[in-house]
Amino acid sequence: MSCSDCHKSDLSLLNETLEKYKNIKGSLITVLQKAQEIYGFLPTDVIYKIAEEMNLTPAKVMGVATFYTQFRFKPVGKYLIMLCQGTACHVNGSERIEKAITEELGISDSETTEDGLFTLKNVACLGCCSLSPVMMINEKTYGSLTPETVREILKELKEREK
Amino acid sequence: MRIVVGKGSCGFAAGAGRVYSALENLIDDKSVLSITGCIGMCFLEPIVDIYEGEKLLRRLVKVTENDAENIIIAVKNNDFSLVDNLTISEKDEEFLTKQTRIALRHCGIINPESIDDYTNDNGYKALRKVLTSMSPEDVIEEIKISGLAGRGGAGFPTWFKWNAARNSKGDEKYLICNADEGDPGAFMDRAVIESDPHTLIEGMLIGAYAIGAKEAVVYVRAEYPLAIIRLEKAIKDAEEKGFIGKNILGSAFSCSFRIKAGAGAFVCGEETALIESLEGSRGMPRLKPPFPAEAGYWHKPSNINNVETFANVSWIILNGGKKFSAMGTEDSKGTKVFALTGKIRRGGLVEIPMGKTLRDVIFDIGGGIKNDAKFKAVQMGGPSGGCIPEELLDTVIDYKKLSATGAIMGSGGMVVMSDSTCMVNMAKFFLDFTTKESCGKCVHCRIGTKRMLEILTRITEGKGKDGDIELLEELCLGIKDGALCGLGQTAPNPVLTTLKYFKDEYVSHINEKKCLAKECASLLTYSINPEKCVGCSLCSKKCPTQAISGEIKKTFSIDTEKCIKCGQCKAACRFGAVNVD
Amino acid sequence: MDKIKLIIDGKEIIADKGTTILSAAKDNGIEIPTLCHSDRVALYGACGLCTVEAEGIPKLLRACSAKASDGMVIHTDSERVKKSRKIALELLMSDHTGDCVGPCSLNCPAGTDCQGYVKLISQGNFHEAVALIKEKLPLPASIGRVCPHPCENACRRQMVEDSISIAYLKAFAADEDMKENTFVPEVAPDSGKKVAVIGGGPAGLTVSYFLRTKGHSVTIFDAMPYMGGMLRYGIPEYRLPKKIVEAEVQQIANLGVEMKNNVKIGKDISFETLRKEYDAVVVAIGAWSSLSMRCEGENLNGVVGGIDFLREVNEGKRPDIGNRVAIVGGGNTAMDACRTARRLGAEEVYVIYRRTRDEMPAEKIEIDEAEEEGVTFKFLTNPAEFIGEDGKVTSVKLQVMELGEPDSSGRRSPVPVEGKFETLPIDTAIMAIGQKVNTSGFEEIELNKKGIISANERTFRTSLEGVFAIGDATNRGASIAIEAIGEAEKASKVIDAYLFGMDIPYRKPFVSEKEVTPEMLKDKEKASRAEMPVMSAEKRVKTFDEIALGFTKEQAIAEASRCLECGCHDYHDCKLIKYANWYDIKPERFAGMKNIFPKETKLVSIERDQSKCILCGLCVRICDEVAKKGILGLVGRGFTTTIKPEFDNDDVISFCKDCHKCADACPTGALKIIEK
Repeated sequence: MSCSDCHKSDLSLLNETLEKYKNIKGSLITVLQKAQEIYGFLPTDVIYKIAEEMNLTPAKVMGVATFYTQFRFKPVGKYLIMLCQGTACHVNGSERIEKAITEELGISDSETTEDGLFTLKNVACLGCCSLSPVMMINEKTYGSLTPETVREILKELKEREK
Repeated sequence: MRIVVGKGSCGFAAGAGRVYSALENLIDDKSVLSITGCIGMCFLEPIVDIYEGEKLLRRLVKVTENDAENIIIAVKNNDFSLVDNLTISEKDEEFLTKQTRIALRHCGIINPESIDDYTNDNGYKALRKVLTSMSPEDVIEEIKISGLAGRGGAGFPTWFKWNAARNSKGDEKYLICNADEGDPGAFMDRAVIESDPHTLIEGMLIGAYAIGAKEAVVYVRAEYPLAIIRLEKAIKDAEEKGFIGKNILGSAFSCSFRIKAGAGAFVCGEETALIESLEGSRGMPRLKPPFPAEAGYWHKPSNINNVETFANVSWIILNGGKKFSAMGTEDSKGTKVFALTGKIRRGGLVEIPMGKTLRDVIFDIGGGIKNDAKFKAVQMGGPSGGCIPEELLDTVIDYKKLSATGAIMGSGGMVVMSDSTCMVNMAKFFLDFTTKESCGKCVHCRIGTKRMLEILTRITEGKGKDGDIELLEELCLGIKDGALCGLGQTAPNPVLTTLKYFKDEYVSHINEKKCLAKECASLLTYSINPEKCVGCSLCSKKCPTQAISGEIKKTFSIDTEKCIKCGQCKAACRFGAVNVD
Repeated sequence: MDKIKLIIDGKEIIADKGTTILSAAKDNGIEIPTLCHSDRVALYGACGLCTVEAEGIPKLLRACSAKASDGMVIHTDSERVKKSRKIALELLMSDHTGDCVGPCSLNCPAGTDCQGYVKLISQGNFHEAVALIKEKLPLPASIGRVCPHPCENACRRQMVEDSISIAYLKAFAADEDMKENTFVPEVAPDSGKKVAVIGGGPAGLTVSYFLRTKGHSVTIFDAMPYMGGMLRYGIPEYRLPKKIVEAEVQQIANLGVEMKNNVKIGKDISFETLRKEYDAVVVAIGAWSSLSMRCEGENLNGVVGGIDFLREVNEGKRPDIGNRVAIVGGGNTAMDACRTARRLGAEEVYVIYRRTRDEMPAEKIEIDEAEEEGVTFKFLTNPAEFIGEDGKVTSVKLQVMELGEPDSSGRRSPVPVEGKFETLPIDTAIMAIGQKVNTSGFEEIELNKKGIISANERTFRTSLEGVFAIGDATNRGASIAIEAIGEAEKASKVIDAYLFGMDIPYRKPFVSEKEVTPEMLKDKEKASRAEMPVMSAEKRVKTFDEIALGFTKEQAIAEASRCLECGCHDYHDCKLIKYANWYDIKPERFAGMKNIFPKETKLVSIERDQSKCILCGLCVRICDEVAKKGILGLVGRGFTTTIKPEFDNDDVISFCKDCHKCADACPTGALKIIEK
């Protein structure tokens, strides 16, 4: 398989995963998850490679990859902001938090800032309902947010990167 | 003495990790320090318990890393006056003492990462009993006696599904646990896996024995990394101890065990979609029939139950189905776990016997509404459920009684709302969720929910039209009748129940362009009350669109054309001079 | 195999155990609609159309997957089922963007398949073109010459440069067809039913044609010596030669339609008798009287009605109209009259019209040609009084007008300029300001307020049992011939049903339409419209010979090839539109966001129009399960799910080539096979 005009990834990084899973029926999602762990996202050439090795058509792999929200097709920013969209967060004002992030960073859901620092992703319930509204930046959880505290957190991160 | 830190996801989010590290740094004898899972009192996290043997001496709440030193000193000196200020209040203790815990019986008590903790507390005894003295039919009979029903939401009798899978032809059968807990506002299953993974494993092994499966799979949502880690460890430990694998406990029964992580799709909570996903495909529900009991995973007979259902199984085997069915109502037996959240004073995990009322849970256990606001409704069952109004607070918790309100028991999400929650906006929130999570396969769900969302959106934006309510009702009934899977069929419930109980809010949005809860920004106007305004200019400084102007020490005013209704001026004003109508 | 017994729609059915409800019904002649099911691929269940109700089961069942079981009682057409299917179709259609038929066809009152026959003409298939035209319109040679072609007015090619010359192409094909191997429609075996048609004009001829082909015995009664009605007696020879009308009338007669001329109802035969002797009577008497202006001097000799004048000339008479003739009116009849007057030898011919050229209802080409022929237009004037001597008109006093505010039709209405008049000496005045219906002989039929026969617009029934009425004589009165023809064709179906004791009113079919802007067509190569060659103006004022000289074959083919083919290639096989019309859908109720995509030709021999895709998934599943190629795949989820071919390499391209299985399976027009 060839792939015109797409990103050139180091496909050898995939070997171990493919070796382990390629003969296990139904393991496509697991392989895609491992690939995303390796590359940070799913580059097109990686998708083609997986299809070829797992004896699936690229259409099938694309179909699966685009079905699940976990998979990304573009690199994410250094700070991945995952904003919880659960009911409790909604009731406690997550819309205002999203607005504050959008205003502060100029990005909406699934977008990345031009400097590549921040990506905003609305996610399904993070399950920290009693701390709502909640967001996670990389591995860290921030709870009981207000528009003001969100702005402060983001400003601090920006400051750190200067 | 033992110091036990509650390390569930909720605790971590509140800072339990930092507390644990601080304690670890200060303590000399590390064996004194251990962890437990989710105690369920999320509103008090991080929580540190101090035990003498099995006896709980002190429960310290809202602990920070700065309290670590005092805790160490208190334990050392056996004098807890230093931490009196951290000790849980009697009132808050009621949150636990008023519960009856079966599925959560080990949660917050044992160390989830220790299989010995589990076996010391009757763990794997039920499995031993089953393998040594019960036939699969006996197990199914015992479950039948217990009256256990599927805790994922539908409430289908567990024994019936097991029996169907048992009676399906074929040697290759699968037992699957649905841990794809996706309802926004529900986290019961996560708590069980994080806090007591062996209970799940034991329940599943008994289920696998009953239906004749040699392979058990847990499908966990990817958003639960901690649950996956703890479950992985538990499986490994159980394998080492011979609870999983070939000829378990020397019997003829063999069963392997594995975890499959989901990848972010709510619809995979639907059992046939879950199977598709397990097979590595797009999680699009299949047509039923055939049901999974006949042709499920890899088209082999399969049985799927959720985490909480399995968490009850070993207790039932040990204590007898009769003891379980003694709890609850005629239709609904045993207990149910709820995740109590929203505008509630005491939020967390609540397990109570069926037959209690909603009021018992929300007011007696949950302590009523935060900040003494007025209760408006409780949302149950997430996007498949509905909102139950104040006048139905005495509804008994029971599958049939709850369904009669238009909501459902659901998997256990219970989101409490106050009078500042707009019910049209709430319905819109759920439809927004459903459209984002719709797999897109069937017409009714793919396009129908989208159209419902569009109508709800225009209503909340003040562009509602005459006939919109009727159109919504028609769509609701059409989607209920026509959608392919349970998710689509129940997607209209949030709209139907709010239309049923809060129609006046829809009418006022459409006819008077007013949001009674003052939540829908498009329908609000901000103005400054000249009698209260002192001309401090703080509001104009906070305004992101420079819509507020005025001279210092004179009344400021808002240009409604420029105003984007962000509410920052109102939040900033110290004199309550910003009016919202 | 074990057999089971069940009841579907009241019918007892024996089926094999394990059969689905869908196939059990199908095997017994009951069609349950489905868009996503195919026996060739695994069960899917997306469209939700095949729902049925089973007694004792609260939920609707999907017939494609639910197994029939012994003793089941199934309803496939209960109200609940119909409602469910209707809403499914409305939702599907609310996210389906495409033109079922082109704007030409949509705008044709007779719904002729313009795009279809233009395409056939572009391929040189003139006989097939005529066969297609005659599914709706049995007089293409005549109508092609005279129709004011609403089709062309709607033609989208105007956004590129100019409309397709649809009307002339139609006449061209019909002329070609008449030369040899003339198309003859199939006539159904005799039904034993008799229908009387009163009036042999476009409406009467058309209804007779279609009723005859359905096997009924049809007799036309006409008061004039020849058939053709206004086509013969209203339209001048130079636009529509009598021999053309005669030939097309003869073709209809050849099918076995009996034609009786010189029969006036009420005089030669009573209406009562017709009603008794025939199973149905169709009144298609047209509008044959000129409207009067109610202005002074109108009764003078030399002041005549427009259609009366044209009739006289068309009968072969050459009335003495003198040298100076004024025609009052701005429509096509006025143009016919002024140009006829020139051909009769009048030197000074005036058209008196109270508005300006822009407001004239006549065809632009007619106005231009009249002007070329030396007609003088007196705009913004209106007759105030005809002045005469010895009872004969000698001049007309004209009130000078100016344009005021627009009226309800959007045209600026003329208002008199007070006190401003002029006088025009004339020998003859021809009043071409409108037509009215002469209902004498039909007194028993209920008339509307305007004194016109009142007929139901969907059943074409009059107040009398078994009496139908169509064309100019009904409801809104005189209009263009193609209107009358359209009504006649629709009425023929209603009458056919009536003859068999059924009441099936006409229902306007639902079609999907899309909005197109010039921007979307900006890449189309320009190709100018073929102009019809005509006789020179000097020549034509001296003769009544036809002025249009006709296209050559090459011209016609080139002109037809300009067609943008706006309508869907799959309209006639589209299951979506078929079912949409079964359930009388109103998708505009659910109007909202739509998934719109540009057309795409990445698949080797298939053009994909995702905007028409209903995500039944058949193409994906067929490609995967039947063709074993797996080139197509679903992408994304929820409302924005799409189908994409996934390949960037040559192996797959050759793999895809000439397979076409996906396009064959597509229930809509989203996939089109193209020759490359």
